[in-house]
Amino acid sequence: MVKQQALGVVAMLFASTTFALAEDVPIQGTVQSRCVIQTDTAGVFGNPNAYTLTTTPADGGAPAVIRFDVTLADAYRAEITAPTEFSSSPSLPDVVTWTGNTEVSTVSDATGMGAYETNKIEQGMKDIYDLTATGSTWFKTSSTATMGGNKAFPGGNYTALVTAECIAK
Amino acid sequence: MLWGSYSYSESITPYYGTTGNAAADNALRWSMGSILPEPPGLDINGVIYNYTINKDVDDQVDVHVQNENALGTGYIFRETDRWMPGSLGGTEINKVVPVVPGIPRAAWGDGSIEVEGNGSVSNPSVRYSYRVDPCFDPQFDPNCPGYKAPVVDVPTYEIDLTSLYDTQNVDYDRNLSAEERERLEDDDEDSKSEEELEEEEEKEKEERAMRLEKALAEADNSVMFAQALAQAQILAAANAVTNITSYYSTNIPGGTYKENVVLVDKELPNSKRGLRNGLAQQLLHEQMIDMQYNR
Repeated sequence: MVKQQALGVVAMLFASTTFALAEDVPIQGTVQSRCVIQTDTAGVFGNPNAYTLTTTPADGGAPAVIRFDVTLADAYRAEITAPTEFSSSPSLPDVVTWTGNTEVSTVSDATGMGAYETNKIEQGMKDIYDLTATGSTWFKTSSTATMGGNKAFPGGNYTALVTAECIAK
Repeated sequence: MLWGSYSYSESITPYYGTTGNAAADNALRWSMGSILPEPPGLDINGVIYNYTINKDVDDQVDVHVQNENALGTGYIFRETDRWMPGSLGGTEINKVVPVVPGIPRAAWGDGSIEVEGNGSVSNPSVRYSYRVDPCFDPQFDPNCPGYKAPVVDVPTYEIDLTSLYDTQNVDYDRNLSAEERERLEDDDEDSKSEEELEEEEEKEKEERAMRLEKALAEADNSVMFAQALAQAQILAAANAVTNITSYYSTNIPGGTYKENVVLVDKELPNSKRGLRNGLAQQLLHEQMIDMQYNR
């Protein structure tokens, strides 16, 4: 693979220096991301009763924790969406109702990030944070799924995804 | 071979570490003496802390994580978190604060978390990251830069050689050249009268005789000591070759040794001659006692 790439470059140079009357010169650059998203802790669904799956610690669950590292202040916003469906699950007997919430768990700058939670914008299951300071912010997303008609969740493995995005302003 | 080389270079390579939680058990004050490890060359390069702020949303609370300057006044390290109105209680802060290297270990005084305003902190954790340079003392290892091979400091003294010799001692003369000896004798003789010279000569003769006697006695003692030593060695050698195996192999025949003296008569009558003799002695004894009492 590497060898083929090298041959291609030699052929192009030969052609361009000998026959071309015009040429396109590429300008390349790499932009390092100044907003990095990492999964700090994967969530866990607890099953307090037959028709409920929840990340509430008291019910045996654990919320998902997502970390945003920002090195450029006031340039990004974090959009975190709690799950609204299972990405994988057994066949379900009824409709599932979802509730979820995201909140700031931990910050690395009290003054710059202390008001993130107060200033967040909620759009349904999506919470939007204005990342005005550089540093790391940990967001905690909780989720609860309730089977309709008080029917039981069938036995099996369930997975739901939290969507975290870092969007340039 | 590779392992040896690896561990050897490791021994002088600076290494890094992190202390335990200085604010364990919700302690808001701590002593650095029990927190920092022992090795010399330790240099703190960062403070890692986290805690949960407890406050009302409308309050402003300042939290200082700090270490006093043990070598002076004020603080050697102080990081302030200002929780403005609008920040929610229950939020945790997780912070890594780099520290300018080179601060002497002794300067790190007691640490604390101080809260200003209407609020408090809970679940605090304060850890110090550090770097240890084993070559802080270049003599730690021969591979350390600046290492100097130890040299034994032998003290030197100026010695007056003439003081080593007793000029009255005959040995002193032995160390003199012939010219020096002649010069000294001439000097002595020139400054003394004939009587004194004769007296000294006689004294010298006596002393020479004494010295000879002492020397012979010493020589005699040495000879005797050598002879005694030689005799002891000969005896030891003779004992060493003595064959005592036969003593070990001798057997005493076993069995029972019965009494072979038999008394034939059942009664032994008193000897008549003995009776007469005993009676005569008894009479004599009584006479002697009577004589004591003048009877």
